[in-house]
Amino acid sequence: MIIELKKFGTTLSSRNDGRESFQAIQPGLKEMADGEELIINFSGVNTFSPSWGDEVIFSLFKKYDSKLILMNTENKSVEETLKLLEEINNVKFNMRKAS
Amino acid sequence: MIKKYNIHEAAGILNVNPQTLRRWDDDKIFSARRDGERGHRYYYEDDLADFLSKNYKYLQALAVRWSFAREASFVPSRFYCRDAYVFKSRLYKLEVILRNDHALAENFSLVTSSVGEIGNNSFDHNIGGWPDIPGIFFGYNLAKRKIIISDRGQGVLTTLRRARPELANDAEALRAAFTEIISGRAPENRGNGLKYVKKIVQKIGLKLEFYSGKSEVEINSSKEINIKNSEKEMRGCFAILSY
Repeated sequence: MIIELKKFGTTLSSRNDGRESFQAIQPGLKEMADGEELIINFSGVNTFSPSWGDEVIFSLFKKYDSKLILMNTENKSVEETLKLLEEINNVKFNMRKAS
Repeated sequence: MIKKYNIHEAAGILNVNPQTLRRWDDDKIFSARRDGERGHRYYYEDDLADFLSKNYKYLQALAVRWSFAREASFVPSRFYCRDAYVFKSRLYKLEVILRNDHALAENFSLVTSSVGEIGNNSFDHNIGGWPDIPGIFFGYNLAKRKIIISDRGQGVLTTLRRARPELANDAEALRAAFTEIISGRAPENRGNGLKYVKKIVQKIGLKLEFYSGKSEVEINSSKEINIKNSEKEMRGCFAILSY
C-alpha cells in the first residue's frame, strides 16, 4: 500500500494536524494484507516537521517496523526531521530510493 | 465597517509621539489619511500593519510590548494568530515567500519547519491553559530577514516541569528544551521540536534569540549555546529567528 503524503498537505507541521492525518490513514490500513509493505511517498511535500512526523511516521513505525518504507525523502526538512526522529527514538527507518 | 484610528490612537499602537506621526506624514515617510472638512489625520489598521511590516524596529518593539508587558498591548490582526488554524495558513504564506528567496534555496523548508515548530509549541503546550491572551504574535520583515514568534503562555519551565519536575529554574528548562532528549513525557505528548530548531539553526547558520521566564538563550552556528539571565522577565516565550 502506498500513502501519498502530499494528499495531507504540502506543509506538514503541528501535532494536531499529525493526529488528524494519522486517524485519516487508519481505515485504509485495515485493507492491507499480512506482511504487505506500507510505503510512504514524500514526493511533493515542501515542509515537514518533527511534531507532525512523530504523530504519523513514528506511530506507523511502531506498528509496521521494517515494513514501513519511506520514499522520496530528499526534501531537506524531511531529511532532517527523519534523522531527528531516528535519533530521539533510537530507531532506523527503512528508506528506499524511487526506482 | 473598517475601524479608523486617530493620530493619538495610531501613535499609541506604534509607541511614538503624535508629533512624530505628523512629521512622517508631512515628509511622506508614513502618510496619513484625511477626514472631513478639517482634514484630521487618521489610519486604517492595514495602514499601521503595512508600516510595521516595513519597519522592523517598530515591529519588534510592538512584539516586545505585547509579549512582556503585564497587560498585552493592541496588535494589528495581521500579526496575531488566535489559534493554530490561523497560524497554519500564515505559515503556509511564509513558506511560499521563503521558497522564492534565492539566498535560501532548498533551505527554505528548514526555516519554515523551524518557525512551525516554535509556533505550534505555543499552541500545543498552552491549549486550555493560556494565562490571559490565547494565541501568538507572528510577524516578519523580509528585508531584515527576521521572524518573530511569541506567546503570553505559561513558559518553558512550567510546561516542561510536567515531564521534568526536577527542573529548578528557567535556565535549566531552556537547556533541557534545546539540548536534552525527553521521552515518555506523559501526560503531555510533548515533542522535541526545539532540539530540531537548534539543530537547523546550527547547521545552516541561522540565529535564534529565545526568551522565557527570567532566562534567554542565543543559538547560532557555534556548537555552544549561550544561556543567561535576561534583563526582561516574561511568563511566556519570545523568539526571533534571523535567516
